[in-house]
Amino acid sequence: MELRASEHFYNRELSWLQFDRRCLSEARDTKIVPLFERLKFLSITSSNLDEFFMVRIASLKDQVHVGYKGVDIAGMTPEMQLKELTEQVHEFVHEQYQTYNRSLVPALKKAGLEVIRNHEALSKKQSAFLDKYFEEAIYPVLTPMALDSSRPFPLVRNRSLNIGALLSAKEDGGKLRGKGKKKKDVQEFATVQVPSVLPRIVSLPDAPDGHKVVILLEEVIKKYIGVLFQHYVVDCTCTYRVMRNADFEIDEDEAEDLMLEIQKQLKKRQRGEVIRLEIEESADKRLLKILKKELEIEEDGIYYINGPIDLTFCMKMYSLPGFDSYKEPPYTPAPVKEFMQDEDVFAAIRKKDILVHHPYMTFDPVVNFVKQAAKDPDVLAIKQTLYRVSGNSPIIQALAQAAEAGKQVMVLVELKARFDEEHNIAWAKMLEKAGCHVIYGLLGLKVHSKITMVVRREEEGIRRYVHLGTGNYNDSTARLYTDLGLFTCDDAIGRDATAVFNMLSGYSEPERWYKLMVAPIWLKNDFLKLIRRESAKASSGEEAFIRAKMNSLCDPDIIQALYEASTAGVKIDLLVRGICCLKTGIPGISENIHVRSIVGNFLEHSRIFWFHNGGDDEFFMGSADWMPRNLDRRVEIVFPVEQEDLKKEVAQILTTEFEDNVKAHILMSDGSYEKIDKRGKTLVNSQALFCEAAWAAVPKRKNPAKTRRFKPASLKES
Amino acid sequence: MAVTTFAAIDIGSYYVNIEIFQLSKKTGLKSLTRVRQNIEIGRDTYALHKITMERITELTDILKDYTRIMKEYGVSGYRACAKSALREADNRYLVVDHVYRATGIRIDVLSNSEQRFLGYKSIASKGEEFQKFIEKGTAIVDVGGGSIQISLFDKDTLVTTQNILLGSLKIRERLGSFEHETVHYDQLVDQLIRKDLLNFKRMYLKNRKIESIILVGDYFTNLIFQNRSDVNKTESKEEFMIWYDHVVSRSPRDIAEELGISSEMSTVLIPMAVLYRRLIEVLEVETIWLPGIQLTDGIAYDYGEQKRIIRSNHDFEQDILAAAKNISRRYASSKAHNDALVSAADAIFDVVRKTSRLSLRDKLLLRVACYLHDCGKYISLVNVAECSYNIIMSTEIIGLSERERRIIANVVRYNTQNLGYYKPMGTADGLDIEDYMLVAQLAAIMRIANCLDQSYLQKIEEMSVTRKDDELVIAVSTKEEYTLEKGIFHENVDFFEEIFNLRPVLRIKGRR
Repeated sequence: MELRASEHFYNRELSWLQFDRRCLSEARDTKIVPLFERLKFLSITSSNLDEFFMVRIASLKDQVHVGYKGVDIAGMTPEMQLKELTEQVHEFVHEQYQTYNRSLVPALKKAGLEVIRNHEALSKKQSAFLDKYFEEAIYPVLTPMALDSSRPFPLVRNRSLNIGALLSAKEDGGKLRGKGKKKKDVQEFATVQVPSVLPRIVSLPDAPDGHKVVILLEEVIKKYIGVLFQHYVVDCTCTYRVMRNADFEIDEDEAEDLMLEIQKQLKKRQRGEVIRLEIEESADKRLLKILKKELEIEEDGIYYINGPIDLTFCMKMYSLPGFDSYKEPPYTPAPVKEFMQDEDVFAAIRKKDILVHHPYMTFDPVVNFVKQAAKDPDVLAIKQTLYRVSGNSPIIQALAQAAEAGKQVMVLVELKARFDEEHNIAWAKMLEKAGCHVIYGLLGLKVHSKITMVVRREEEGIRRYVHLGTGNYNDSTARLYTDLGLFTCDDAIGRDATAVFNMLSGYSEPERWYKLMVAPIWLKNDFLKLIRRESAKASSGEEAFIRAKMNSLCDPDIIQALYEASTAGVKIDLLVRGICCLKTGIPGISENIHVRSIVGNFLEHSRIFWFHNGGDDEFFMGSADWMPRNLDRRVEIVFPVEQEDLKKEVAQILTTEFEDNVKAHILMSDGSYEKIDKRGKTLVNSQALFCEAAWAAVPKRKNPAKTRRFKPASLKES
Repeated sequence: MAVTTFAAIDIGSYYVNIEIFQLSKKTGLKSLTRVRQNIEIGRDTYALHKITMERITELTDILKDYTRIMKEYGVSGYRACAKSALREADNRYLVVDHVYRATGIRIDVLSNSEQRFLGYKSIASKGEEFQKFIEKGTAIVDVGGGSIQISLFDKDTLVTTQNILLGSLKIRERLGSFEHETVHYDQLVDQLIRKDLLNFKRMYLKNRKIESIILVGDYFTNLIFQNRSDVNKTESKEEFMIWYDHVVSRSPRDIAEELGISSEMSTVLIPMAVLYRRLIEVLEVETIWLPGIQLTDGIAYDYGEQKRIIRSNHDFEQDILAAAKNISRRYASSKAHNDALVSAADAIFDVVRKTSRLSLRDKLLLRVACYLHDCGKYISLVNVAECSYNIIMSTEIIGLSERERRIIANVVRYNTQNLGYYKPMGTADGLDIEDYMLVAQLAAIMRIANCLDQSYLQKIEEMSVTRKDDELVIAVSTKEEYTLEKGIFHENVDFFEEIFNLRPVLRIKGRR
């Protein structure tokens, strides 16, 4: 059977949409997920979808514009994909609002939070409150814009929320055009942006029963819109939002030849083309017509919204004070025991390799690693790759300090990280000023690997300390993303780490890699070899299995190798959070492959690869997914976990995740994802278990406060 | 701290390497990192005989980067060596100066024999394995961009070493213009090198049985068998041929892709493969050893030896002497006389050294000069000095720099010819004042030592050399007629005295 046949693969965009559906299913889960956590999930589905539009839909539109007719692994042309996606996204959005309107809003009310949808429903007291708020806070920052024949259609900013209005002249005076015409003929269009500087959620005075009451900013503006156009009558208003295909580079996920093609035709690209218009369902037909014409959008790009546009405000709602009983209790990351016993990070690493599991364990050791290196007089050099860094990163400060202290500091800053460019440039300049050697990425390759190396001069010679991770050096996302990191001073890894940085500095590739698997060029082959080795074991009758966890799986070569392995009898269990183009349960091809996806409170982000290797189990972790972009167009590092105790730990992590029956969804052979039937089973929520386990591992310390006692001095005694 | 870090820089025909080493008495030599950057300096040299400004700038940029790497490891010393790409460039001294001013790095332009000696030391840094190999007949073959060096070892000593001016890059440049006229590029290369290799075999190999070959070179050599995980390995001839067929049957572009190298580099690989195959066939070897080392290993090893951090169980001076003895045998010198000469010269040297600035290295030079002092007889009995001088100047002696070789040649020449006084602007031989002084001192010692066995009959049974006030007392015991020696001795006394301010006195005991 032809393994590469397109019917054996899912389209990646549609598979992505499945992932957003899984997030949405968390927002709809009334049984297990606390109410406010559901709000959060709904917000996530919305921001996910925004990014999907700006990057993927935009790219597909580009392809259609340049007349690209090539098919993806699932045999779909860009046009077919767009068509199918548009249909499904419309359906999805419908579900989002169904969830919001029918499930969340009523539940919130029950919980004591009332969301007023229409300003008409406001009480007198509430109106009086808003009168003042509008006049003092909102009115000064509004910029209404009217459209007439002398002015072009105003620029509606990408992703901004706006209110459109139809105006007609008042009987008495005002500007009149075309005297003698009927009133409706002289309607004018006006628009005003809902200011992003003000909070979207406006809290009103509590209801008499003590309930909290809120209204969205756009509703408040609608209420007072007459104030903005004093000489007109406002006939109708509607909220709308546009999303443009603008200012973004060509998505790196596309095949190389396609990227070239698009690049060539880039000039033809309709810059700023509107690819999505969200508009209130109840919008006036005339308003809609004007927007449709002026924004040049097709009917299938218009989303009629029954509810507030842009659900990301739900995240803000989550943060409203109170309602703690409707939220997961906040989790404090546990300290790492190896680093508790040793103040000195380097001394601890010299004793043994150390595994850190975020966010269950604190990210502090990673920050301290750099901080301590910056201060240590024996440290000669620090090298690090930075991809997405938090705004006020302590790591960056430490690097700058190290450079100022005369150490050789090399930092690779990836400017191609989506949406972070500007932010990255600012602190990169700062590092340069401090004397760091800053490299701004590689031409044509995104540097996605997460690695830090400290070169230290010690009694026995030079020693290299390396931290390798599956996640970014970002102390704030480290509280939300599940990632693994390894500290080691293994000589071979140190040598390879040096070679990685040499490569990033533009020097030659090393003659050989000792332990690391590095992309591009080598990683894919290394993975294929490992998979095929497993196949060979299975063919010769040995027990063979692969257990792997990643964010996305869509590399056709890897998938084909997995199909071959499955056919050979290798048991393959995969945890794929997001996109998965592999089909399970194809008779004779993928019957031995099982795919699950965990969508939990923390974003599953680690990549772990376990090959049974005939009983001599091998474990790898790293920054790379099994995607063409990771394997072919990025610098990625996958590293081995070699110490026996750590191998056990990693095996345990994977095993627990495979046992998860609370947050896991199973990929069915028809492409849908289903939650596990929990009846009669012990509930296993892997993320919750890891939280407990992380704290259980912390050695109990005697509380010094208990033994210490202050003795009050007494005058009498002296 | 007992640990030293050291940077070795190797400037080749098509690359510049830096390798950082850690040296300690306890753990020996350990490589910390190795970085290669490609730059075809040799292309300028072999085509234009000079290095262009553009290339110099490129080189200084690379070396500037390397100074940063040196800082990253806090190195306490470095040595940057250039080979034929600079050696054969007419503007090499300007390049060296330019680089120094731009980067602070001082480049040593190695003579071929120094370079090969370091290459050879790099193999020796592998320790026991090396010892095991050279006990039997072994050839070390070092293919560079500019030339090939073949060194033969047998029974733990160096038999001969020869340089053939055909390296991989040079072959590529030379055949470049008619490369497209044939599909059998490998055969073209083969024809170009065949003659040189057969000559080598006829002249030096004779009936010696060579069992194994040690392939050293650079990064490319290590690409053979393309096994990343095991660079240091031995292979059979058959395995090599599989690799060879694989490389030669493919287009440079395919090879480049397969090995992950640039296609420019891969065009160097084919000439190199053909060279290796030819050598393996000509020398009729069975085993091939790829120690996976490069010149940088040798540079670091040499540094470690000098700083007394590393101690080798192989005596490299013996290799230099062995090479000198082999040359003298080739020119039919009398072994007995040479041995007598060396022991006399040694004795005199040891006494005068105490009051002069002569070093132990100078003693080695004197010994080599003694072995080669009359090799010119092979050409002409009339013009021995000139002929000897010319032979030495055109013979590779492994381990000696060009300067050292010139000193030896001059010592031999002025052993019999009259050495005039030093004049500003130097002598006709291009000796500067320091070298002139050294030549004069060594020649003076040799003259005295030589006349003690003037008859070539080894009449002396015992000899002692002592210093007494302003006299150098040479006491010899002999049972034979010693008139000739005595007479000649007196002829040379003035010269010696003029140089050392010591008057040699001959005391003869035990005469019948």
